[in-house]
Amino acid sequence: MSEMFGAMGIARLKAGLAAKEFSAAEVAQGALARIAEADQQVHSFLEVTEQMALAAAAQVDKAIAAGTFGEMGILAGVPVAFKDNMNLEGTRTTCSSRMLENYVSPYTATCVEKCLQAGALPMGKLNMDEFAFGSSTETSAFGPTRNPWDLQRVPGGSSGGSAAAVAAGLVCATLGSDTGGSIRQPGAFCGVVGLKPTYGTVSRYGVVAFGSSLDQVGPFTRSVEDAALMMNVLAGRDPLDCTSQPCSADFTANLAEGVRGMRIGVVPEFMEAKGLTDEVRQKVADAIKQVEALGAQLVEIDLPHARAAMSAYYVLGPSEAFSNLARFDSVRYGYCDPGHTDLGSQYDASRAVGFGAEAKRRIMLGSYLLSAGVYDKYYYPAQQVRTLIIQDYQQAYEKVDCILTPVAPRTAFKFGEIGDPTEMYLSDMFTISINIAGNGGMSMPVGLGEASGMPVGVQLISPAFHDANMLRVAAALETVYGPAPVAPDFADGKVA
Amino acid sequence: MKTLEEVFETWEAVIGLEIHAELTTLNTKMFCGCKLEFGAAPNTHTCPVCLGLPGALPVPNKAAIESIVLAGLATNCGIEKHSMFYRKNYMYPDMSKNFQTTQGPIAFCMRGHLDLEVDGPAAKERYRLDSLKVGESNGNITRTEDGYRAHVGITRIHMEEDAGKMVHLGGGEGRIAGAKESLVDYNRAGTPLIELVTEPDLRTPEEARLFMQKLRQIYLAIGISDCSMEEGSLRCDGNVSLRRRGTEAFGTKTELKNMNSFKNLHDGLAYEICRQAQVLEEGGVIYQETRHWDPSAKRTIVMRVKETADDYRLFPDPDLAPYDLSDEFIEGVRAKLPELPDQKAARYSATFGLSAYDARHLVDHRATASFFDECMALVQAEDEGSKFAKPLANLVINDVTAHLNANPGVQLAATPLTPARAVGLVQLVADGTISSKQAKQVFAAILDEDKDPTVIIEEKGMKQVSDTGAIEAVVDEVLVANPDKVTQYRDGKTGLMGFFVGQCMKAMRGQGNPQVINQLLAQKLQ
Amino acid sequence: MAEHLTETDVRSIAEYSCIGLTAEEVVAMTADLNAIIDSLAPITEYNLEGVPPTFHPIGDLANVMRDDVEVPGFTQQEALMNAPKQEDGSFLIPSILGEGGDR
Repeated sequence: MSEMFGAMGIARLKAGLAAKEFSAAEVAQGALARIAEADQQVHSFLEVTEQMALAAAAQVDKAIAAGTFGEMGILAGVPVAFKDNMNLEGTRTTCSSRMLENYVSPYTATCVEKCLQAGALPMGKLNMDEFAFGSSTETSAFGPTRNPWDLQRVPGGSSGGSAAAVAAGLVCATLGSDTGGSIRQPGAFCGVVGLKPTYGTVSRYGVVAFGSSLDQVGPFTRSVEDAALMMNVLAGRDPLDCTSQPCSADFTANLAEGVRGMRIGVVPEFMEAKGLTDEVRQKVADAIKQVEALGAQLVEIDLPHARAAMSAYYVLGPSEAFSNLARFDSVRYGYCDPGHTDLGSQYDASRAVGFGAEAKRRIMLGSYLLSAGVYDKYYYPAQQVRTLIIQDYQQAYEKVDCILTPVAPRTAFKFGEIGDPTEMYLSDMFTISINIAGNGGMSMPVGLGEASGMPVGVQLISPAFHDANMLRVAAALETVYGPAPVAPDFADGKVA
Repeated sequence: MKTLEEVFETWEAVIGLEIHAELTTLNTKMFCGCKLEFGAAPNTHTCPVCLGLPGALPVPNKAAIESIVLAGLATNCGIEKHSMFYRKNYMYPDMSKNFQTTQGPIAFCMRGHLDLEVDGPAAKERYRLDSLKVGESNGNITRTEDGYRAHVGITRIHMEEDAGKMVHLGGGEGRIAGAKESLVDYNRAGTPLIELVTEPDLRTPEEARLFMQKLRQIYLAIGISDCSMEEGSLRCDGNVSLRRRGTEAFGTKTELKNMNSFKNLHDGLAYEICRQAQVLEEGGVIYQETRHWDPSAKRTIVMRVKETADDYRLFPDPDLAPYDLSDEFIEGVRAKLPELPDQKAARYSATFGLSAYDARHLVDHRATASFFDECMALVQAEDEGSKFAKPLANLVINDVTAHLNANPGVQLAATPLTPARAVGLVQLVADGTISSKQAKQVFAAILDEDKDPTVIIEEKGMKQVSDTGAIEAVVDEVLVANPDKVTQYRDGKTGLMGFFVGQCMKAMRGQGNPQVINQLLAQKLQ
Repeated sequence: MAEHLTETDVRSIAEYSCIGLTAEEVVAMTADLNAIIDSLAPITEYNLEGVPPTFHPIGDLANVMRDDVEVPGFTQQEALMNAPKQEDGSFLIPSILGEGGDR
């Protein structure tokens, strides 16, 4: 049994380091040992960066010895890991695709760099759906990640590895990316806090693009405070990303304020949605009662165009993905099918072998949607619908400070249970409109579903650049439901 | 095949140009901080952005946006405050992202024009120009004293990025056709590129050439590009179609590439016009296709047939912020507009009394124009007025230009001919110290020996003899030695004057003042 | 399910996107894409006249640029470190036109 450093909160871990209860090297070694043991079952890591973690730990220990630990960053000595679509120089960035199986990053993403600058111990790279196309991590070319709460079930996706690693207590925090629900849905499935900030809050530079106008990076943690601390590290304008915005807010500032006087929006249409399971509806309704009991005012709101969000998403996402994935062509990097004497056949074969089925579907769909004539039928109207969805939210935020909805219609499903792509797409029915509008959204665990015994999350949605609102509500809910526990089969150093 | 002149009897050519200019005077690329440098070792000026690595994002170069706005203002375009970058998606290995970042329906610069002065031999290509009287207009042209003026519309100038460079191995002469493999170098990838598209307002290859020349002068004057057609920083494609004289509907056009010099632009278009005429007259069909001008074979060859219009899946680039240019930004750029070639020519005519023709040819080249400006600054400083303008203009248009043409690659500023020496030379002629014939020798000597003109005439003993006594003695000798010619002259064969002058000059080894010699001969032969 | 795309359309899209598909994959892809395109119908069901499109989710984002200042980039070795094939400091690719082909 190894020490469960990855199961500690950031504040507890740093206090232990400051008090010299344990060294950063012990933290790194402990986390490495724990990953080696437990991740055989979970398969959340694609690459473990042992040398980098130990080198970073040595720096922290040096600071502790010199008495300058307090001057180090927020994440000094904290083991973290990154979704494998984030470049970290010297590591493979595969996006869980054969296409990039051997691709070694020659540069580092801004979000990763910020964690390193803050003193984090980089433990490795995490499994995902191929190029983030999926809701179950089953489309990973390197095998699926298993849900630590039940290894027969999916962890959600696309950031399934990021959610599972935190749920299994392997690391304190991870980074994921969210294009249509890829942080919030696995957060809910694995019973951890998953936060998708407002578009523009965190730099996308160095994060392999899926849908450029939808993608946003955010953290997975087991507590709201840790999520806020991670946001303090990640947020801010990056001169390398035109769409990133200045942000100097302290995300931890009003966590303790409670929800008294806050106006919380509930969406009746969502609560009555077809496909929403009873156990999820029940837990979400319970959470709504709890915030009311804590002093918040409930306001029913209407999001009339949310119905079209799914369709808009499956126009905009694949269109942008088609263009973003054109660069994988076997010339500069990536899989190159051998033996071709002309470039056309090398292109066709390399992309046929390098991309999985879902990636091919999305590329093909995007190529169709952007073609002459079709652009005017779907792409342009989808961008107009986006305007209407944004207006829906703007009108809602005149009446409320935060919106509370389900994250996903159901709890984590079993492997292979959903095969049809359009049915799989329904996993994102409550999360997608937030990416379309660009708002912030997060999933907050509120206990286990009665039928499945699996974690249920509620989604909290903030007005753009007011992500502190949802953190404040989440912190209030945490006083009721407690911080996210490590999945029972992995708690206290167990190995399922 | 018929000549162009013969073709134009029956057919009217409709020509539009697409002109790409790399913004070579900037420090860095369009969307990343990589250095712009021609001729570096392959793939030594790259980064995640211009190599199209996964995760990289573009950030536009502000100076490039200023440059294109400057280009738009200099070509009478309207500046669009609201525009966006788009992605033009197609797979090609010199394009690292497999899309080109370019602009959509609205470019930074829209609806401009340039007026071309077409004169001399260039005007002769125009069909039946003589049917117009001076000042009379027909369509977009107006007859002038020396030829005509053509008003050529500019559809737009948009901002985009250049692709990398490829070397093709195993084919003939590095050509793509027949190549077994190719090497790709992304140093050029992401170079800021502006594309100007003209209206189909051009009717002759000469007009196309003059448009290109004029645009080049403007781009050089505003300093946005080195405009080297040889190195490819200024490139031109031509769209050509024919229609029968008197008809309106456009014919099918071909797109002509590889016209990498003014001569190739003219000759390629002229060939293509004649080729199309032949095909049409033989009852054939013109296909919409891209053709390559082969200057050595003097013909155009098919590169690619466009079966359907290209569908590039153009859509607004979500990674780049839209533009909302302020008046302040645009006016800030306008303040940087230097004197443009047309304005300079007008000033030369107005201030120095030069002919429109001289003035225009002076501004043909930025180097010669600024040389002339420096010379005029010197003579004006000496309060000599503008009486030197015409001789200085002649020196620059004739001698200096001839020298530069004979020595390609030589920069005027790097030669021993300084403005002060040019002024000195012209002054020596004006005050009669040397003859204009001697001036040619002195000009050559300045360039050869890197000395001041006064030193040269001293060393070579080239001073012109204007002393009437000395010349009179020579005149007398010549008249005495040729009594029969003197008689013939006096009998009315006045054409013999040239003979007498030549004999006198010969006797004086070219140093006699021809005016004085003429004067004395005329007196004595009366 | 409506037939938005025929197998011929799908083959043409695959060609443009440079993805080699087997005959069976074309059949499956055609069915999948038609099903997905069916599900996009809500987009076409609104009266969108006069509604401006939102291409960038941050409303007032505009004029983001950088100064024309050089930033160090890759060495040639770094640029080529992931190249499947290289020669003389360049990326090496097979014949672009192929045998008698066109681009």
